[in-house]
Amino acid sequence: MLHLAAQIEEAASTIRARWDVVPRAGLILGTGLGPLARQIEEHASWDYADIPHFPVSTATSHRGRLIAGMLSGVPVLAMEGRVHGYEGYPLDQVTFPVRVMKALGIELLILTNAGGGLNPQFANGDIMVIEDHINLMGANPLIGINDERLGPRFPDMSCPYDPELIKRGLELARQADIVAHRGVFVAVMGPNLETRAEYRFLRLIGADVVGMSTVPEVIVAVHAGLKVMAFSIVTDMCLPDALHPVCVEEIVAVANRTEPKLRTLINGILADLSSSVRSGAAERGAAGKHH
Amino acid sequence: MFQLVTQIAEAAAEIRRSWNVRPAAGIILGTGLGNLAKEIQAEAVLAYEEIPHFVRSTATGHKGQLVCGRIGETAVVTMEGRFHRYEGYSLEQITLPVRVMQALGIELLVISNASGGLQPYYLPGDILVIEDHVNLMGANPLVGVNDSRLGPRFPDMSRPYDRALVERSLAIARRENFVAHRGVYAAVSGPNYETRAEYRFLRRIGADVIGMSTVPEVIVAAQVGLRVLALSVITNVCLPDAVAKTDGESVVAAARAAEHKMRRLVLAILAEEERANCRQDSGCNGTSSRAEFRLSEESTAS
Repeated sequence: MLHLAAQIEEAASTIRARWDVVPRAGLILGTGLGPLARQIEEHASWDYADIPHFPVSTATSHRGRLIAGMLSGVPVLAMEGRVHGYEGYPLDQVTFPVRVMKALGIELLILTNAGGGLNPQFANGDIMVIEDHINLMGANPLIGINDERLGPRFPDMSCPYDPELIKRGLELARQADIVAHRGVFVAVMGPNLETRAEYRFLRLIGADVVGMSTVPEVIVAVHAGLKVMAFSIVTDMCLPDALHPVCVEEIVAVANRTEPKLRTLINGILADLSSSVRSGAAERGAAGKHH
Repeated sequence: MFQLVTQIAEAAAEIRRSWNVRPAAGIILGTGLGNLAKEIQAEAVLAYEEIPHFVRSTATGHKGQLVCGRIGETAVVTMEGRFHRYEGYSLEQITLPVRVMQALGIELLVISNASGGLQPYYLPGDILVIEDHVNLMGANPLVGVNDSRLGPRFPDMSRPYDRALVERSLAIARRENFVAHRGVYAAVSGPNYETRAEYRFLRRIGADVIGMSTVPEVIVAAQVGLRVLALSVITNVCLPDAVAKTDGESVVAAARAAEHKMRRLVLAILAEEERANCRQDSGCNGTSSRAEFRLSEESTAS
């Protein structure tokens, strides 16, 4: 992992060369959530292929573009499309962009994904604010020699998702009359969808939604000391006793239909952020008053 | 994964050089079940070393050859011995033969394995017809860039095992008067057997038997659209509160003792398939069938 710090710096300086703003939030937009990217007042953008060491996305409906600009009054970096473990990338590569966004100065990472609903109370098109996760990917992005400059050897996972942001996300949903749950996301490697026996297993161990992403990025974000908020769109219900074959086009269609709801929530969270002072700056300001 | 298409074509071409028949079914024989291959009127036998891109079989009780020929009227290609993750192979290597058999023309894949029973009422020697699975191998044969010529990026797994074949296998077992259960197979990579705590975990999450194979092959078979029947011989029963030591030799011995049941199931299923295909094919007079279908390259190759 010791080479990572140098790679991060190379990627970050490529971005700084064209966009010399310190972003406050990073967004990782999953399946079907591209439209949010178009709302950004764009200052600059890069194909992943043009950023050193960035992995290139091959997944269905993922574009592979980093956008820098303003959203809801906040300077943001948005990843339109992400790479996944099932594409064959090691997880330290999958999570590399999180490290780069951290190096550029983000405080908050917002992630979205499309997932299969395991909790029978959920319905297609509902949103789940991720409260906690279970990593069943059979891999971890932090495996290897730890570079203390990037984070601790044994990061705590008692609270990876910011509780205040979860509360606020659910409140924003109520105000906008959007159905949003809080729940547990379980990450598997994929790429095949699960068998009925596997859905029963996942439900039994406490998962509400299953997906093939997000958890590696969250682990790295926690390692790097970022605040995290993550949303799942429930794109198909995985009820093992009434399971129908699912098609990817349908999943993408539900994600596209639900995207406006998620946009409302993310805009609300970012608007809060814009009216708050950057945490470092706030401390400095408070110190100034004392003197 | 883009090199896979070439590898499949090269392996299939090598097999066709010795045996230019379109098989209706592929059979993968697991631990201790190699003798089933004796039922085949062999027309060609290829050691895995002779087939490009096939890895070698190193596991106990696995011979390591591809037997091509007929069972009754049905043209079959049979793997006598399979590859496992615990041998150090990637799941892509392990499942290559499934893709090759599909390229040769099979529509049905019959898989056998030996497993440990987790249900306390199972007995060594019982057969389990696999109805569903849980993949706990920590790996997946489809990870990597997807080649859409081989199958979809996100294959559905709502029904990887052909329901009609499950029902018919159970009916055959009743008719032949031996015990066959239907249940869920959990796959782990092994090679160690499980601890008592692991057996409890597996039982609790809904597994009926546990083994170290089959699921990678089934995932690939589902991706390429094969009908799958998977039969498991329960070689030992793993009761965490009274666990007995397990070793490879006793597993192989128990699998051999139950082999006749497996043989009867496979033979009966293939015979029923053959009859069903005959009925479908209006031009069938009892001797010619899809099993007789020959590839167009035959004349040039022979």
